[in-house]
Amino acid sequence: MRIKIDYKKCIGCKQCEIVCSLAHTGTVNPWRSRIRIFIREEFCLPVIAGPYTEAACNSKGMVMVDGLEVDGCVVCRASRPTKSVYKEPDTGIPLKCDFCGEPPDPQCVQWCAPEALTLIEE
Amino acid sequence: MFGWNGRILRIDLTRGTNWVEEMPTYLMQEYIGGRGMCIRILFDEIDPRIDPLSSENKLIFATGPLTGTGAPAASRFIVSAKSPLSNCIANPCCGGYFGANLKYAGYDLLIVEGKSPGPAYISIHNDRVEIRPAEHLWGKLATETEHALRVDMRLRDDLDDWALNTIGIADIGPAGENLVRFACIMSDGGRAAGRSGLGAVMGSKNIKAVTALGTGQVNIADAEGFRKAVMGFYQEGRNNGELIKRRMYGTWSLPGRANKSKSQASLNFKEGYSEAFVKYEDPEVIRKLIRVRDEGCFSCPFGCSKRSRIKDPEYPKTAKGPEHESMALLGSNCGLGDMEDICRANYLCNELGMDTITTGTMISCAMELYEEGYLPEKDLGYPLEFGNRNMFKLLKQIAHREGIGDLMAEGGIAFAAKYGHPELFMGIKGMGIPAWHPQAFDALGLQYATNNVGANHTKSTLPFYEGRKDPAHFVEFTKKDQDYLAIADSGVLCWIIYHGPLWGEKLSEWLTYITGTTYTQETLDRLGERIWNLERLFNLKAGITCKDDTLPPRITKEPRVKNRVVDIDRLLQEYYEWRGWDKKGVPNQEKLQELGLEKEGAGVI
Repeated sequence: MRIKIDYKKCIGCKQCEIVCSLAHTGTVNPWRSRIRIFIREEFCLPVIAGPYTEAACNSKGMVMVDGLEVDGCVVCRASRPTKSVYKEPDTGIPLKCDFCGEPPDPQCVQWCAPEALTLIEE
Repeated sequence: MFGWNGRILRIDLTRGTNWVEEMPTYLMQEYIGGRGMCIRILFDEIDPRIDPLSSENKLIFATGPLTGTGAPAASRFIVSAKSPLSNCIANPCCGGYFGANLKYAGYDLLIVEGKSPGPAYISIHNDRVEIRPAEHLWGKLATETEHALRVDMRLRDDLDDWALNTIGIADIGPAGENLVRFACIMSDGGRAAGRSGLGAVMGSKNIKAVTALGTGQVNIADAEGFRKAVMGFYQEGRNNGELIKRRMYGTWSLPGRANKSKSQASLNFKEGYSEAFVKYEDPEVIRKLIRVRDEGCFSCPFGCSKRSRIKDPEYPKTAKGPEHESMALLGSNCGLGDMEDICRANYLCNELGMDTITTGTMISCAMELYEEGYLPEKDLGYPLEFGNRNMFKLLKQIAHREGIGDLMAEGGIAFAAKYGHPELFMGIKGMGIPAWHPQAFDALGLQYATNNVGANHTKSTLPFYEGRKDPAHFVEFTKKDQDYLAIADSGVLCWIIYHGPLWGEKLSEWLTYITGTTYTQETLDRLGERIWNLERLFNLKAGITCKDDTLPPRITKEPRVKNRVVDIDRLLQEYYEWRGWDKKGVPNQEKLQELGLEKEGAGVI
């Protein structure tokens, strides 16, 4: 199972960030979220903190999304500890998506009304 | 504490100091937040008779208990001060990311007092609050300012990419700097706390921008219950046709609705129908023509705001809007019938930082004065009949106070009176009338006329909904809806979603989950009524009387739309009675006692 992201449907409301923090910590604070929305003028980019893979760092640099240049490190979903985002703001502990438990029931998908995030079997 | 932070941040610009105050409990319990808290504080702290552009005026940025919690469409923040346009209380609201950031930084309210000696901007990053020089920003357009600020913040605050695009910025354009009396406070590249001219108040304090970045949290009393309730609400919402339409078209479905029902403001309210707008009656046409993407405010999954594209190379690739009100007032009301032109006008207003609605009525007033021969061409320097693109030139002149723009920047009443025809300015208490022609719906005329801030679209409800069309009930509904919106603005919930597709029941539900205090609809109605009455008392003390609760003669005397006029005198008396006010619109003793406002009413009644 994985979370499919259709960034063209994302409207940048950050409800996924809010519910992620709510479900994991019982408080509302987007800085504690395991999903982050990067808002650009012409599109929004939801990025989930996924598992760390060494290979991901080989593609560092600028990447093209829909004809626009974006920092590859920003849109990379690997939760590398040296990345500045995806860190618990008070303790600095890196955060990682856990699909909200077993069986997977990601809350961000539940709260995504525009359906940019969907859970698919794979 | 749940919902609220319980902290007020005060900034004294004259002394260059800032400090945090504890929020009094009564303020939270009895005034909820946003608009309610603002009027309580302004009523207590400023003399309603002051000059709004003097350093005695206070500018408040306010959030509510729902802001930043994830309650659907609770993105808004309220800006409040005494208005330089209407001399009444002003409390425009604005969406975007600023409100939530202020909340996460740990403050419910930001109160700005005094006057900075030179151009400055306020930077709030959690507990680190600084007043920084802004000479390099002065004169910049609204989005230019935001870009420059982000560059500034990257260097000075060492912020990463995500933090930089999370930040909330409220700023003014050149119009605010030049004290144009209908200047807005802009936010997030094209959103505006628009009506009432608070951009000029910010400009008078020499403040170019306020940036907020918070990494703190908001606590929720029943987090589990709240999470499930919102989830349930979204599942229902997937089949709610009204809400789906909001996301698809935002307010773009309204020009068609207005034009078909002959209530689209046209040619300075001479007509309620625009031939040129027939092609835009299907919102799909507008969507195909200019839309780039849907933009949700913070924690609003409805995303009614649209980013659009103009093909003209002189303009940036994409920009926000235009919303229905801007389309009508800058478009059909000024005789413009081409969407590209309307986008240009809307873009200019946003970047210069001017209220598109009041600006639209000012320009249409100038156009009519010109066509009737009252406004000589030598004063303008160019012809300006309805639909003339010279209006773009005029827009810039107003914002920079050049030539005739200097007089127009003082507002419609002063401008139209100078040319001998004050009746041609379509405004109430100095504020331009929004898109829906009041003659099409009496109820709307009454809502505009009696509004505490002037003719305001965000503080009135459209008369499409149940019971509101029926003449036997609409005065009663006017009072009810006004009280309801007062409390929604205190939450702070977005009026676009919470009137129409959704009504009040959700407000009490969210409040109860979040604050842990049980709110019933009756309690909230009473609190809303008190806020409305307190605002009225402020206005009365500022010198506003029942003579100001009126409509332009074009609406009350000339049957322009549907062959009707609005009988405002009769409606007003009926409305005052529903409100428990006397014939002059002053709350009577019993009403004040009932609401616990006897002390505040002293000296007025």
